[in-house]
Amino acid sequence: MLVQDIRYALRSFLRAPGFTLVALLTLALGIGGTTAIFSIVDGVLLRPLPYSDPGRILRINRVGANGGLDSFSAADYRDLKKDATSFSAIAGYRSDIVDMTGRSEPVRIIGVQTTAAFFDVFDAAPLLGRTYHEATDKPGAAVAVISETVWKQQFGSNPAVIGTHVLLNGAPTEIIGVVPEFLRHPQKSDVWMLSPFDVPTSPFGVDGNDSRDIHYFSVMARVARDRQLVEGQQQLKSIGDQVARDHQGNAGSTFKGEPLASSMVADVRTAMLVLLGAVGFVLLIACANVAGLLIARGAGRRRELAVRTALGAGRGRLLRQLLTESVVLALAGGALGMLVAVWTQYLLVSLAPENLPRLADITLDWRIASFAFAATITVGILFGLTPALQSSRPELNADLKDGGRTGTSRTGMRNVMVVGQVALALVLLIGAGLMLTSFSRLRSVDPGFRTTELVTVELMLPLARFDDTAQRNFYMSVHERLKANPVTANSAMLFPFPFGGGNAQAGLSVIGQPEKPAERRASADLYSISPGYLQTVGVRLIRGRDISDSDGPKSTPVVLISESAVKEFGGKDPIGEKIDMGDAFTVIGIVSDARRRSLDTPPRAAVYLPYTQFVLPYMGAVVRTDRGAGAVASAVKTAVAQIDPDLPIGDVKTMEQIIEESTGEPRFRSFLIASFAVLALLLAAVGVYGLISFTVTQRVPEIGVRLALGASPRQVFTQVIGQGLRLAVIGVVLGLFAAAGATTLVKGLLFNTSATDPVVYGSLAALLLAMAALACYVPARRAMRVDPMTALRSE
Amino acid sequence: MIKLNSIEKSYRHGLSQTFVLRRVNAEIKQGDFVSIMGPSGAGKSTLLHILGMHDSAWTGEYWLYDDPIHQLSAKDRMRLQKQHIGFVFQSYHLLDNLTVYENIDLPLSYRDVKKAEREGMVADILDRFNIVGKKDLFPNQLSGGQQQLVAIARAVVAKPSLILADEPTGNLHSDQGKEIMELFRRLNENGTTIVQVTHSKENASYGKRVINLKDGWIVDEN
Repeated sequence: MLVQDIRYALRSFLRAPGFTLVALLTLALGIGGTTAIFSIVDGVLLRPLPYSDPGRILRINRVGANGGLDSFSAADYRDLKKDATSFSAIAGYRSDIVDMTGRSEPVRIIGVQTTAAFFDVFDAAPLLGRTYHEATDKPGAAVAVISETVWKQQFGSNPAVIGTHVLLNGAPTEIIGVVPEFLRHPQKSDVWMLSPFDVPTSPFGVDGNDSRDIHYFSVMARVARDRQLVEGQQQLKSIGDQVARDHQGNAGSTFKGEPLASSMVADVRTAMLVLLGAVGFVLLIACANVAGLLIARGAGRRRELAVRTALGAGRGRLLRQLLTESVVLALAGGALGMLVAVWTQYLLVSLAPENLPRLADITLDWRIASFAFAATITVGILFGLTPALQSSRPELNADLKDGGRTGTSRTGMRNVMVVGQVALALVLLIGAGLMLTSFSRLRSVDPGFRTTELVTVELMLPLARFDDTAQRNFYMSVHERLKANPVTANSAMLFPFPFGGGNAQAGLSVIGQPEKPAERRASADLYSISPGYLQTVGVRLIRGRDISDSDGPKSTPVVLISESAVKEFGGKDPIGEKIDMGDAFTVIGIVSDARRRSLDTPPRAAVYLPYTQFVLPYMGAVVRTDRGAGAVASAVKTAVAQIDPDLPIGDVKTMEQIIEESTGEPRFRSFLIASFAVLALLLAAVGVYGLISFTVTQRVPEIGVRLALGASPRQVFTQVIGQGLRLAVIGVVLGLFAAAGATTLVKGLLFNTSATDPVVYGSLAALLLAMAALACYVPARRAMRVDPMTALRSE
Repeated sequence: MIKLNSIEKSYRHGLSQTFVLRRVNAEIKQGDFVSIMGPSGAGKSTLLHILGMHDSAWTGEYWLYDDPIHQLSAKDRMRLQKQHIGFVFQSYHLLDNLTVYENIDLPLSYRDVKKAEREGMVADILDRFNIVGKKDLFPNQLSGGQQQLVAIARAVVAKPSLILADEPTGNLHSDQGKEIMELFRRLNENGTTIVQVTHSKENASYGKRVINLKDGWIVDEN
């Protein structure tokens, strides 16, 4: 009997291909989209980190007097480690470029130099071999742990890798373990090495290893099992406060512990929750659509159900038949939905910006797939069964007579669904409109330099082989060679590249100006540049002179300052004034402001130092050329090889690529929300179309009478369009109010865009109404063409 | 077989009440062939649907054999309906998605007849009605007369003792109508009780008795 029911169900769907296609697509998109997006939100935001008791792991920051987060200095770390009794493990770590040699080709990978307790903090088993620990491995032990990726790519997944020796930045090191992908912290790291000291080695020379003022590494800790998380956090604060009291340079600062999971995703949390809300809206709209379709179908089947009843089918039997149909439909939609989910998730992960935290943790979540599946099936079943539940004895006679064609009173529920769909779709459309407006305004921001035809090449140096003098000589030699090559003649050396290429700041203290309290002390972005930087990049020299070749390591320390730094000079002309940056640096020129952190962060005060006087092993080359990144890469590689054949060059990117990457997250979220909004718009249009089409079918006899009584086809057309638009207008009005409330949640994600931008609201409301009018057009045309004779005869 | 005592049906419209049937008393014996006639709005179809138990909102007494339908639950009425009654509609009401075979099989499947037994019963009916060649066709592939033939086959397949027919030839041309009425006559001769609603005196002449209704009242019975 069940087989028969299934056969009839399949046949009835095949005989109504329009209904079946729309219902299946709606189900598939609703289930698939929800599952894919939730999988991403779950992987990034909700799923616990895959470590033992991950809630106990804290990322510890130093909070400065002005509230900003800062790295740790060696002295602060030692104070913390000495007094922090609530923790079972505390570790410092710092990322660095590592050249792995001693095998075939030299390979440049991202390394992490850590103190011995690093893996005690995570407390997770390695894939192979062992990890190092405070109890067993002393600082300076020449051991390293590699990532699963490096193990596969560089060692062909050979288990014999354990115990082998490689040269890491020239130092012989034994590989003792391989860690799985989930233990790859910080993101993209490939090798973890023990620091020779009780703190990570300072990139600023050995002085940094004892300093309290040089902040250069991160700290993590695990709260002891017998302590509460909050106890640990309170202890961090009290230690930080004590250090601030004991040391003048720390005045106003403290230490703060934040659970690792939330610190990793802090930047994307709001965006992820907004996406989750958006996809929830799409699921609601999809459910409303399926419900509407099934109600319409049910209403059209009243005659059939009445006949079945008259032939002896009990209510239970009818329910079983309809349940079978609904389940068959829902299963088919669900199966399609799973396919959509797999494809969508694959697409989204491939489109996701590389810097999206926990990207590797994203997997298709079958729990949520089951949830979305169950939700849609439940809706499908409930609304599929409605006609059977509604079929009560006294109406059987009427249903047999009118064949279920007169049922306009039963469109009430569908009207509500359509209004709800339109309102939800408008909220999503407005959200997407605001995001896209914001993104477009972000992309049109002038960064303060010319971004076209600008190529960057990273040239980081391993500290183990390059001291200050060697670094300076290397970069000067590279620059000389680049200038001599016509492809790279217009070039300069620079640290850091804008938009994510590193960070260096210093307190901006003008000699001769009264000293400000700690919380009001200005800080400036530091740049290290070679002569020719301003011309290459396109930053304007406003006054004074540019840095030149004569500003050597032994000549008077000089700096350029940006326009935003001028106000720190108390109204005096900065040219010729001196600023205190360890030494006294004389200001020789003022240059135009340029954005460095991101397009949406306004330019800060900046200080440009000659690379001969302030060198860091993280510099790179910027080249202005129309010959493309490939030509530049090859020219730089040749120049570097002439100086040091064992030194690989780093990433080669155009400035436009860098900007693309830096705006990857807002672009990704704008793209996602826009996709949902388009989907919602289409679903809402299908909803409006379905309702109006259904109503027209129901009203054919009435329309026939109207036409027979002299109504013009145009009047019929207007009436049908009017019916659809009335519902759409109600939905739009509700949607506008809902959007005004809902978009306050995305305020923080908008750049130079008001959450109640009237142009966005107005234009998208108009778009939705136009779409609704279009959806009404086809059934309205059908209504116009009703032949009164045929209509009345069928009556 | 059927006894009706003071059957009434009415609709309320605010304070007013419109009667569709008034104090209908009638008796139909086993093997009878009764035609219910009367002008439009007289209550003919309503009475037929009450007899067919498609309508439960009425007052009075309705006895089918010895069962008091007026006192029974919906479930028990359904059981009796399945046991005794077959229904033929003016507009056939065949299910569009089912083949001729499946339409005829439907009442049997609702009566939980075993599949093997059903196959025999349907094959027998297809043969008796001479529509074996059409068993795999869908209703829209048949003429009106053929559709009504299938509808009657569907009504009789479960071997009901009572067939209720609501203007069974209303949508057919005269030749097809005669054929259908002959079929009813043969069924009646073989012992099936038939109650039909009709406007046609010619159709009524196939029957043994006529009940005339007007404004819900039985005005004549012969």
